Amino acid sequence: MNREALQRVASLATNTFTEALRQRFFAFLMLLGVMLALSGILLRTFNFGTSELKFLADFGFGGVFLFGSILAVVMTVQLFFSELESRTALTLLARPVRRWEFFIGKFFGIQILLAVFIAVLIGVLGALLAMRSWELGREALRLGMPEPWFSTHGLLVFAFLQCLRLAIVSALTLFVCSFARTFLYAVVVSAMATLACQLQGIGDAALAQNKQETLLHLFVENCGRVIPDLQVFDLGAPLVLQREGLPATVVLGVIGYGLLYIPVLLLLGIWLFRDREI
Amino acid sequence: MPVSSAMSFLPAIEIKNLLKDYRTSLRGVKLRAVDGLSLRVPENSIFGLLGPNGSGKSTTLKILLGLVKPTVGECSVFGHPAGSIEARELVGFLPEAPYFYKHLSGYELVRFYARMSAVPTGVLEARVAETLDLVGMTTAADRRVGTYSKGMLQRIGLAQAIVHDPQLVILDEPTAGVDPLGSAAIGAVLLAMKRRGKTVVLCSHRLGQVEELCDHVAILDKGRLVLEGAIASVLARQEQHVLTVEGWSAAAYEAVKSALEAHNASLLNVEHPRISLEKLFVEKLSRNTGEKTSSFGYAHGREEQYGPLGRPETPPAAQPLPHAPAVEVSLWHKGKKPPTLPQ
Repeated sequence: MNREALQRVASLATNTFTEALRQRFFAFLMLLGVMLALSGILLRTFNFGTSELKFLADFGFGGVFLFGSILAVVMTVQLFFSELESRTALTLLARPVRRWEFFIGKFFGIQILLAVFIAVLIGVLGALLAMRSWELGREALRLGMPEPWFSTHGLLVFAFLQCLRLAIVSALTLFVCSFARTFLYAVVVSAMATLACQLQGIGDAALAQNKQETLLHLFVENCGRVIPDLQVFDLGAPLVLQREGLPATVVLGVIGYGLLYIPVLLLLGIWLFRDREI
Repeated sequence: MPVSSAMSFLPAIEIKNLLKDYRTSLRGVKLRAVDGLSLRVPENSIFGLLGPNGSGKSTTLKILLGLVKPTVGECSVFGHPAGSIEARELVGFLPEAPYFYKHLSGYELVRFYARMSAVPTGVLEARVAETLDLVGMTTAADRRVGTYSKGMLQRIGLAQAIVHDPQLVILDEPTAGVDPLGSAAIGAVLLAMKRRGKTVVLCSHRLGQVEELCDHVAILDKGRLVLEGAIASVLARQEQHVLTVEGWSAAAYEAVKSALEAHNASLLNVEHPRISLEKLFVEKLSRNTGEKTSSFGYAHGREEQYGPLGRPETPPAAQPLPHAPAVEVSLWHKGKKPPTLPQ
């Protein structure tokens, strides 16, 4: 990749990000995510017997994944199709801009957006956990009980893993966009694919219990070998709330898993988009 | 961008037996958008590509730009295969009814497109400023594109198309929805580009402007070429001639008529020369402002004037009105049936 290509990708990514920041949908989801994280304070009495910090953390983690996934799917489709439907892609691709530069520029622009989203939500969650652990710590000290604890470092590692997870979702969505003809089709197919990726681990577990060699069994088994399993990124509780944390090899393995799928999905998307008529 | 010496011998565009089918249904029904088109666009000319809606103009342009692949046929831009990076480096493009990123200012937009065209960083700022000046958008450059009027959008669109100083500029309906002043100003920029050695391909339904600006035209219909040639030769009635005379009188009329009859020719028509309504419009508005106007012809205080605009180019439409006594005389060679003479 030469310097000019890098500059073009950087310009496209920056432009995609600034365009996305102005979308009301982004602001709406960000607000919902923050409200969900904050509402954990009000709902903490329904903690079903788990510790309060774990309840708050789980609430926040769920918000990051749920709203992050919606954002990754809808904004990716929106930002991609807006270029085609408003015909800005014509003025871009009529220049010495290669299709892959356009595709990768879009991807990185969306990643910056998702990183901002995750940073804000994790920041709010971190502040919430810090506040409650300080209050609960004073109470525990008074009662002579062990102080509640959470790992800021673990929270940052978790945030990075969520960036990778959502990068897989947006790469998968861009792959769908590369052949989809309509906005709605791209959103529906990408959302279904994300759901399948999220439930893949559950499907595998169910298959392990049922040893029958049915057609469905074979289909699910083979799908499981191809599509990414997003549940491997669910390491929030051990990373943030367990003092012993997780071995570095586990974390590195998950990072490697993400870094393997992202380029594969992007390459497939670029390959399909290469010959698409604009 | 410098043109190599070898390039100067090549046509700007060469299209050979181009055919494009679009599949319109899963059952394989096809729509033929371009049907066996062959065309050469000479370098350093303004070429009008005309035709009704659906005649294949836009598809041809898209093929030239590599946005659509041809079913059959070859296209080249200055000898490079159409759609290749080398070809696209030489081309600037303004699509029909363009939409630009509304969140950017005019300056940011042109700068963005300059970056996309790999304009060297060292000259980037100067090139952007020069282009904005050329299209008369310098003082509106800090405003968001979302606040621009239709005419300003077309001008900023023209700026993004020419910011990298391309050899070939392809403009699809650049004056659609633009008032006559803006339209004349865009025409002035195109003429200026031609003087600088550039080639312009112009698709437009404003045939008056095409006739005024273009050296060559091609007319497409249902994907086929129905007419091509130099504008002077395709429009001229070769068997007739027009003289423009000053100081015309009844005696002069009789004398000319007799003289022509002596040379076996007929005087068919005597009338005052006319200018187009568009020219008159531009002329009147330019005079009424009483101020110096730019190449874009806008007066200070108007919505689309933002200070000292553009280069000191005179719009082609802003020619002085002809004097009243001037008359136009049409001549006809005898041996062909003359139409009735007006009294």
